[in-house]
Amino acid sequence: MVQIEIDEDACVGCGSCVEDCPNDVYEMDEAKNKTKVVNLEDCMACLSCHEICPAQAMEHQDIHVAKRLYIDRKVNYALDRII
Amino acid sequence: MEIEEIRGTFKPELIPKETGGDLDDYEDALHVLMKFMGSMSSALEQVSGRGANAIVYQAGKRMGHESAKMMEKTENLEKALDEMGDVLGHEFYFEKWKPSGQSSYTTQEGDQVVIKLLFMDCVVRQTLRRTGLPQKGPLCYLLYGYMVGAVEEVMDIKGKIDIDHVGPNACLKTLTITWSGK
Ligand code: SF4
Ligand code: SF4
Repeated sequence: MVQIEIDEDACVGCGSCVEDCPNDVYEMDEAKNKTKVVNLEDCMACLSCHEICPAQAMEHQDIHVAKRLYIDRKVNYALDRII
Repeated sequence: MEIEEIRGTFKPELIPKETGGDLDDYEDALHVLMKFMGSMSSALEQVSGRGANAIVYQAGKRMGHESAKMMEKTENLEKALDEMGDVLGHEFYFEKWKPSGQSSYTTQEGDQVVIKLLFMDCVVRQTLRRTGLPQKGPLCYLLYGYMVGAVEEVMDIKGKIDIDHVGPNACLKTLTITWSGK
């Protein structure tokens, strides 16, 4: 089952993930001004929240990782050597 | 870049082994095809506007009908979807999905049955991302048409598919079938 970790140090409290998630997985913790996971069961691992989050503050664990054949292996190899 | 020329002997009806290519060749060809598909899709949209979706949808539907002719006919939606999953294979890997508050995958509304499908792997999505195009455009309609065509063929009913949500790792769609026939 999917697990979502929020890096509270990174989260800037913009609420974009709350707005964007189609299944209402997140809610704002008003006291902390950070997002929190309130509906994990309905997460379908679409990763839209990863694209919208300006702080890359969330991590989804134990999910199906879709194939990304559009990523050029040669580019990946070059990046691997640089980074 | 230096192009390595392949030379060999060719006889009628024989495919020389030199034409096989390796993984790099397949990867290059895949990327070229993705770029072609992406350019065709955006040009089609530019020329035909929203009509592009309908054209691509019809093309997909025809493909769906054709490929489902080999499948066993059934009136059971879940069985039909399992068969379609086998035909679509790993490149269009999908699973049935339901919100946690719903007890079964299918819901009945009058003569309609509704089921949500989560597409996890999708070559169309990869093509769009390769070419920097947004999801939900004409190319996505190829897969919608395919699913509808295939389910119509296998179950001999009328179907339609709607997009609930598109994401970089999975897309949720709603398949609705109507029992009252075509
Ligand atoms: S992966 Fe999708 S469903 Fe899950 S929390 Fe993110 S946006 Fe919501
Ligand atoms: S989108 Fe990112 S930064 Fe904004 S509230 Fe959500 S986790 Fe925090």
